[in-house]
Amino acid sequence: MENSNNSQQQRPGLWATVNERYPGSMITKNDFIPLAKLKKPLAESRLTFISTAGVQPKNSMPFDTVHPIGDYTFRRVPSYSKPKDLEIHQLKYPTVGAKRDLNVIFPIERLQELAKEKIIGELAPNFFSFIGYNMDAQKLEETLAEDIAEAVNAEGSDVALLAPA
Amino acid sequence: MALDYLKKATAEGDAEKLIRYVRLHFGDGNEAAGRKEIDKAWIESLKLLLDVPETDRKFILKTLAEKDAATLAHLFFHLHFYFVKRSGEWIHDGEL
Repeated sequence: MENSNNSQQQRPGLWATVNERYPGSMITKNDFIPLAKLKKPLAESRLTFISTAGVQPKNSMPFDTVHPIGDYTFRRVPSYSKPKDLEIHQLKYPTVGAKRDLNVIFPIERLQELAKEKIIGELAPNFFSFIGYNMDAQKLEETLAEDIAEAVNAEGSDVALLAPA
Repeated sequence: MALDYLKKATAEGDAEKLIRYVRLHFGDGNEAAGRKEIDKAWIESLKLLLDVPETDRKFILKTLAEKDAATLAHLFFHLHFYFVKRSGEWIHDGEL
């Protein structure tokens, strides 16, 4: 395996001082919502995938990577898409590895394989993607997160796999 | 929250806090790098005009006259990243 600390890591130590660099961006929440328990085995469940990787179908409206306050929209990514049909619009993480193999950040082919092998019951029609750079945590929670939750529920998913980029 | 921090700085006229944020934003957390990124965008723009090429001033003036300030501000951020990327010295490696 290639050493991840090679010269391709362009921003070493990025997170070490995040609260100093972006005051107030690290949020502490006092209310706690426990994770939901599986109601049926994974092999019988419909799974969706939610990612902050900024992955989107080619020719869809690019995520707004330049807006100083962030982009509060999401894109549906058909769960049986091929990586060649997808692209990344995101400036806040190095994408060198993901451009070589999208699965390292957005494991769509791995999930397709797990569904084919029946380790996962089935994939929901769509996965969901947005960009992680959002300066307004309240708007993120009250609009984007709610919009995605509604879209996930509408497709009858039993399990949501969440992966930050 | 971070946005509250910026709004408070704006209300208090605290330009230092705001410019620090802008530099951190453009420099991905490195204030000095952000300042260099801003300079880079201006230098790239300047280089393109040195030979005084014909430009579409009608488009520029029409855009400035017809578009609201928020849209122009958004365009300003787009232009910053466009020129930095065009310079070939791109600290980001993603797509706009």
